[in-house]
Amino acid sequence: MSGAIDRRIIFLLVLLALSTPLIMKYSIKPARMASADKFYAVIDKLQPRKGGVAFVALDFGPNTKAENLYQAQVTIEHLMRKRVPFAVFSLYVLAEPFLVSVPQEAANRLMAEFPGERWEYGKDWVNLGYFPGGFLTVQAIPKTNNLVEHFKKDARGNNLKDLPAFADARTLKDILFLGEFTGLTGMFDNYVQFFTSADYKPPFGHGCTSITIPEAYIYMDSGQLDGLLEGIAGAAWYSERLTQAFPARAKDSAEMVNTGLGVAHLVIIFLVVIGNVLAFRSGRSQAGSRA
Amino acid sequence: MMVERMEMLITLLGGISTLAVFSFLIKENAFYRLFEHIFIGISAGIGLVVSIKSFIWPKLFAPLLGLDIVTYPDGTFSKSYEPATLLYLIPMLFGTLFYFIYSKRHSWLAKLVIGFALGASGGAAFKGFFNEMMPQLFGTFKPLLVFSGHQIDWFESFSNCVFIFTLLSVMYYFFFSIRSESRTLGRVGVAGRWLMMVSFGAFFGSTIMARMALLVERLQFLLDDWSAAVAALFRIWL
Repeated sequence: MSGAIDRRIIFLLVLLALSTPLIMKYSIKPARMASADKFYAVIDKLQPRKGGVAFVALDFGPNTKAENLYQAQVTIEHLMRKRVPFAVFSLYVLAEPFLVSVPQEAANRLMAEFPGERWEYGKDWVNLGYFPGGFLTVQAIPKTNNLVEHFKKDARGNNLKDLPAFADARTLKDILFLGEFTGLTGMFDNYVQFFTSADYKPPFGHGCTSITIPEAYIYMDSGQLDGLLEGIAGAAWYSERLTQAFPARAKDSAEMVNTGLGVAHLVIIFLVVIGNVLAFRSGRSQAGSRA
Repeated sequence: MMVERMEMLITLLGGISTLAVFSFLIKENAFYRLFEHIFIGISAGIGLVVSIKSFIWPKLFAPLLGLDIVTYPDGTFSKSYEPATLLYLIPMLFGTLFYFIYSKRHSWLAKLVIGFALGASGGAAFKGFFNEMMPQLFGTFKPLLVFSGHQIDWFESFSNCVFIFTLLSVMYYFFFSIRSESRTLGRVGVAGRWLMMVSFGAFFGSTIMARMALLVERLQFLLDDWSAAVAALFRIWL
């Protein structure tokens, strides 16, 4: 009986469930995420200082932007609000457009919220660009005695020594925070394994896709991660925390998408329950007819 | 105006591509196949172009050929040529030996590069393994009774007990060297298997969640950006 349902009807139901909150522009307050709270607290504690810079690795492309993009947006927005200079870079080739667009959009958003203030490229952030080589790139960073000489130029071809956001960064100890966002298997391991030295490890926040949440929790438990954004739900709660701290903040899409996702989960749970009930009843009636 | 038109065109193409891929949900069709091949081709091509544009040219060939040196109007240079950059030629030439894999006679040269790459990766992986695993190993040393001040934190204590039991039972399940005939230990192994099933359930649930998130993002694109682009296109035509 349950096998008689055309799978396209199920697709249609899921499609309707997901698109309804998006069409109605309806969102509900996201659930509290403890790991996202820890991530928020790590950035909230950061204090800008001479030479100090945060590193933000946007290791995602269009394939996981649905989750990683919102995570990166809220993190970068928070760093900008704290006036902590940061450098974006990536080990993933398809991330290149996001290295340009994500910080710029966050700056535009903040400049709209605070008309008298400015967030500028070079002063508030730099784009180091895409680096091939995976772990080879990462393990070279803690070894260098001069980050400016190590990277030399940004993605636009500017000398880093001319950009105030990065000009005084020297060693790993000048990296105030490492944020990494990816859905790629093995990418996150590069940072866990090599973005550290014998006497210093920057506070490390990771944004993962939903698939890798169970795996990422292991690193939270062992203390290798200081904060974790779990899929879109983590980003939505982070966004909520930012709105609580800055009430004039314009609403973003993270909460709306999270609402759509929640509705889809309810539909799937409903279908699983219905499917099992129908299969159970079908099994019983077949057993009855055999008897 | 030109930029806006270009953005509109990109959005329209993005929407058509999305619908083409989604058409597979109805049934296998030529529209889907076409866009699948386009996608594979673009993915391969873009990787090559970005690697050359963002890395190989600005960080390798431009310094090597001195093309990153700017000549100012007064005839001075932004910097002098660094002869040390010529050392880049050594790994470059060594790397090109990889292409000897196509030669039957000289394929041993490619093996030098492969051997070097395997050795370097193995050495780094060895160090990486310890950096990654040692904190996790230490993380498993949890107290079974957790105190908060002078009070027992029952929730944390219970949580740690479940953690330790799960760890030991799953490890026992995979312990194949010596099998005990003890029924109690057998049950521990079975418990380990069931606890792994719970973990696989969590993985499966989170996989569905991730797929749904991807679908939400595409729907949002279709409903907001693409529908606006289609409306703009109709306005231009009318």
